[in-house]
Amino acid sequence: MAIELHQLVAALYLVAGLAQILGIAIPKLRFGRAAPWLLGAGAFVHGLAFAQLHTMPSPPSLTHLPTAVSLMAWIGVLQSLALLRRARLEGLAAGMALLAFVGVFYASLALRGVEPVPTSATSWPHLHVILASAGLSLLAVAGLAGALFIAVDRALKSKRPAAWRRRLPSLEALDRVNSLALSFGFPLLSCGVVAGMLWTQGETGRLFAGGAHAIWSSVAWAIYLALVVARFRLGRRGREAAVRAALGFAFLLFVVVGVGALT
Amino acid sequence: MKILLVGMNHRTAPVEVRERFTVNDPLPWLQKLVEGEEIEEAVLLSTCNRVEIVVTAPNLERARHRLRGFFHRDLGQASPLPHHRSESAMLYEHVDSDAVRHLFRVAASIDSLVVGEPQILGQVKDAYRVAAEGGACGPLLNRLFTSAFASAKRVRTETEIASRPVSVARVAVDLAHQIFESLADKHALLVGAGEMIEAALEALRGAGLASVAVANRTPEHAADLASRFGATAHGLDELPVLLAAADVVMTSIGVDRPMLDAPLFEKALRERGRRPIFTIDLGVPHNVDPVVNQLDDVYLYDVDDLAGVAEANAEERRRETVRAEAIVQEEVERFDGWLSALQAVPTIRRLRARAESIRQSELDKALAKLGLGDAERKGVEALTHSIVNKLLHAPVSRLRERAEREEGLAYLEAAKVLFALDDPAAPGAEADTPASAPDREAEDA
Repeated sequence: MAIELHQLVAALYLVAGLAQILGIAIPKLRFGRAAPWLLGAGAFVHGLAFAQLHTMPSPPSLTHLPTAVSLMAWIGVLQSLALLRRARLEGLAAGMALLAFVGVFYASLALRGVEPVPTSATSWPHLHVILASAGLSLLAVAGLAGALFIAVDRALKSKRPAAWRRRLPSLEALDRVNSLALSFGFPLLSCGVVAGMLWTQGETGRLFAGGAHAIWSSVAWAIYLALVVARFRLGRRGREAAVRAALGFAFLLFVVVGVGALT
Repeated sequence: MKILLVGMNHRTAPVEVRERFTVNDPLPWLQKLVEGEEIEEAVLLSTCNRVEIVVTAPNLERARHRLRGFFHRDLGQASPLPHHRSESAMLYEHVDSDAVRHLFRVAASIDSLVVGEPQILGQVKDAYRVAAEGGACGPLLNRLFTSAFASAKRVRTETEIASRPVSVARVAVDLAHQIFESLADKHALLVGAGEMIEAALEALRGAGLASVAVANRTPEHAADLASRFGATAHGLDELPVLLAAADVVMTSIGVDRPMLDAPLFEKALRERGRRPIFTIDLGVPHNVDPVVNQLDDVYLYDVDDLAGVAEANAEERRRETVRAEAIVQEEVERFDGWLSALQAVPTIRRLRARAESIRQSELDKALAKLGLGDAERKGVEALTHSIVNKLLHAPVSRLRERAEREEGLAYLEAAKVLFALDDPAAPGAEADTPASAPDREAEDA
């Protein structure tokens, strides 16, 4: 049932993302109005899917990659919905909906073969996954905002009027999203990493266990640190911050996919 | 009742002619028009691009003659028109559906000099309000103008005819909104104190910027301009400092070579923490080195760039008029349907009167014979009412429906023949009321 719900969620996110893109490209079709509702419906069903997972006789652990990716997608969508309420960030919500679709679709396929694992006696694993997912989804938000910033910046520099450009967020709004995402995302991921270290210490007696997961977490944290230092310490904002965030997120995606393929 | 529209606009008459017909206070003219018997209702629309009068009249020829005379003798004060254009060539006329369509196109800004401009709808609303408050409007023009406003609203919401700015000043403000989320906390720097800068200052003030600084070679000119618009005045030597504080920069000053270059902007960007600067160079030759546009976080547009965007937007608006025309056509057909249904009202009223007259006369006869008590009388009366209403319900509904279509007239004629509504000798004919009160007809419709 949870897998079927995940498939439904993936479909809702895909339709929401496409509707939002169509709404931006061809506003007269009025698809854009339905998109936030579809995204909200997807997030609601996603919550139900997690509840269903939790009530399974032998639920897959949150620490499994498919479940963690699904959680990350859910948190990312909730963050996008919260941002949509504050500013005209439809382009950002469209990108997040499509990213969430990929994540949830992957989870729906991967969850089929997942074997239940013995539950840890402590809450560190769950805390680690939840905090890290929230931090990483905010990095995704910063990366998407960066990509949109670059697109709007290029269009403005080219001086060619394009109807879609006027329906994208302003550069200032995208830059503020970058700032907010880094401000909240980095502490969340840092706490997630600490929780993970404490979990590892409880299991193995060492703070750093090594292995793909630990390396991946360290790389993500290092990327975040670099972005935070550049933005808040060196004052790199605007286009430069956008490019860094987009590249950082793209690199992280590459690392995750690479790690996923290797393990 | 006929609808007639007579007028002139930017396409048919040059400005020196149009300005002679401009009306500042239309009410006295309207009252003069409707006090005669040729015109029932009238609305006068006078803007810088058009002067038009819409009227309803029982006789088209007399109304046409009256309006042409009104234009020439009253509005134009009998002064001769330019010899190269005759009056008839400058004035256009539209009747019934054509008049409706023309008014709907005007209200929707399809007929405007700048297609999609927003002011015309407000001007049409004002013209209607003056006529309505002055008692020059009746049910027909009330409905016509209400439909024109609804049609214009549809055009604005369902097409992009008005969504893109087409004036250079508005293009600049629109671009600023693509860079900044809000202009309320932004600061502008204007370099120069000429007419271009003055016009820009007005536009920027309208956009709601937090503050404006004016820098000029002659500080006195800057001070004069700044005092009129609540800005601050500065000399050109303060430019490096002012640039670091400015989010929007607009320049129009006479120089041999660009006075604002890339190093100056790079320094300002560093000082302002790389917050973006939107720069508009209206100067010829350039006041700002075009290389500046290659810097991150600086967006430089010159007058040709802005004009190019404005022209592309205007072209897009013109493309949208095809969809706008289709909406107008739908609304014209809807209004025509309502107008046709109005024609059915006298026939329906006669039919009801005839039936009521027969019912009453037959009821009187029956009650005289039966000698019933009060309760029984009331019961029989209610019964006859109910029978007549139920019998008439279907034909009356069908007549109303069909009257909105092309074949409506045939149905109305058939009803007149079948129920002998034109026969004064038929039972109940004396109770008929002629179709002479448009107010009541419109209310019934």
